[in-house]
Amino acid sequence: MELGLYLHYGPALVSGFAVTILCWIAGSLGGMVVGFAIASLQHWAGRPVRWLLQAYIEIIRGTPFMIQLFILYYGGPYVGVVLGPVEAGILSFVVYGSPYFSEIFRSGFESIPKGQIEAARCVGLGEGSIVRRIILPQMLVLITAPLTNFVIILSKETAILSVVTVPELLYQTQTMAAETFTYIEPYVALSLFYWLMVVATTWLGAKVEARVTRHLRRA
Amino acid sequence: MKPETLPADANDPIITVRHMTKHFADFEALHDINLDVHRSEVLCLIGRSGSGKSTLLRCLNFLEQYDGGEVRMGGQLIGWQDGPSPRKPLPAAALRDQRKNIGMVFQQFNLWPHYTALQNVVEALLRVKKLPRAEAQARAEAALQEVNLKEKADSYPASLSGGQQQRVAIARAIAMEPKLMLFDEPTSALDPELVGEVLNVMKKMAAEGMTMVVVTHEMGFAANVADRVAFLDSGRLVACVPPAEVFGTEPADPRIRAFLQTYRERNVV
Repeated sequence: MELGLYLHYGPALVSGFAVTILCWIAGSLGGMVVGFAIASLQHWAGRPVRWLLQAYIEIIRGTPFMIQLFILYYGGPYVGVVLGPVEAGILSFVVYGSPYFSEIFRSGFESIPKGQIEAARCVGLGEGSIVRRIILPQMLVLITAPLTNFVIILSKETAILSVVTVPELLYQTQTMAAETFTYIEPYVALSLFYWLMVVATTWLGAKVEARVTRHLRRA
Repeated sequence: MKPETLPADANDPIITVRHMTKHFADFEALHDINLDVHRSEVLCLIGRSGSGKSTLLRCLNFLEQYDGGEVRMGGQLIGWQDGPSPRKPLPAAALRDQRKNIGMVFQQFNLWPHYTALQNVVEALLRVKKLPRAEAQARAEAALQEVNLKEKADSYPASLSGGQQQRVAIARAIAMEPKLMLFDEPTSALDPELVGEVLNVMKKMAAEGMTMVVVTHEMGFAANVADRVAFLDSGRLVACVPPAEVFGTEPADPRIRAFLQTYRERNVV
């Protein structure tokens, strides 16, 4: 190991890490918001809307992320969608992640016994209150673990963004490797960064889980 | 069947049901139901499983959409917009306003498990009645006191017995000060030794003048507390009479006789 290399390439690696985190967090949050909207519409909207959304879910889940990214970034300009690499990266993450998130939310919606919703309607609670006060707090208990899991998977999918020249962590690492003909140093650093993201996500997931399951422990 | 003839001392009915029908696909769950429930009356709905008791009850607050006839409360048509058919359902807000006057207690309690007993009662007081928190809290505590559970205010449902959970569910409903209470087999999910505490609360409510419609298999409760007993068979209201006419003498209708026979064999009545 030649640690001196890090002095020279450290800033590039850190900036790559920052871009990775940006794409990851923005993509995950966007995917969650869109996924939640899809799950809600599937729950409450009419049949044509549900079919359309189901088709979207099937198509996105049935194709590789890298292909979706290619189509968006290289194919986009042909239909007037010109995006920079980072924008394309984030948007493709939202597109790719939302069906998975929506399925997690859907399973959460379906886990709440219908009787609890009826009881809420009987005391006059509105649909918005029912979602916020009755459904969400309980479904979070069930979906925190799968959500954490998928966010962790997404954190590593960011590496694929390097193929459309997003200057993220793998892109910077490859540059370092190519310029210095070293492989151990760049990829050890890369692994460490990914590991940090996963550890942080796991920790956060456990925190959220502890918070949303209070009522189950405090008898 | 003709509309009920009213008891001589009856005041205006709180809720009136006229020619109500309900289908599930091709199955006729309720056939031409006519019924009045009067202020402070306790009406028990009895009959076999699948006879339509629960469906009838759930049509009264539109948890099930009845498809023909009318349910009216204070003159207002429940659930549907008044007008020529095909009728349209009421907007959500209008339906919520109607339901505020109708409390409901379920077989499975349906408490919200992530809230304490007190929070279960407070929720609608805050968000539907829009009471200030202190007032909502005080009223919820009073409701829990009514069902003898004040000391369990901070317990979560999972740590309460079935009978306690059902009493919290009753408190949640009465805290809203409904004009009418619906009970859908409130003791059917309870261990036998816990049935009494729930029935006692219901008896107290009846004595205090609450108007109640109770779907029940507790024939003792129907015999002793109900003002009238309605017997359903295959979606038809066969009889709606004072309990003495069902439990006292031998009932005239063979369907009621057959139904009660199964209870007599178990020495319940």
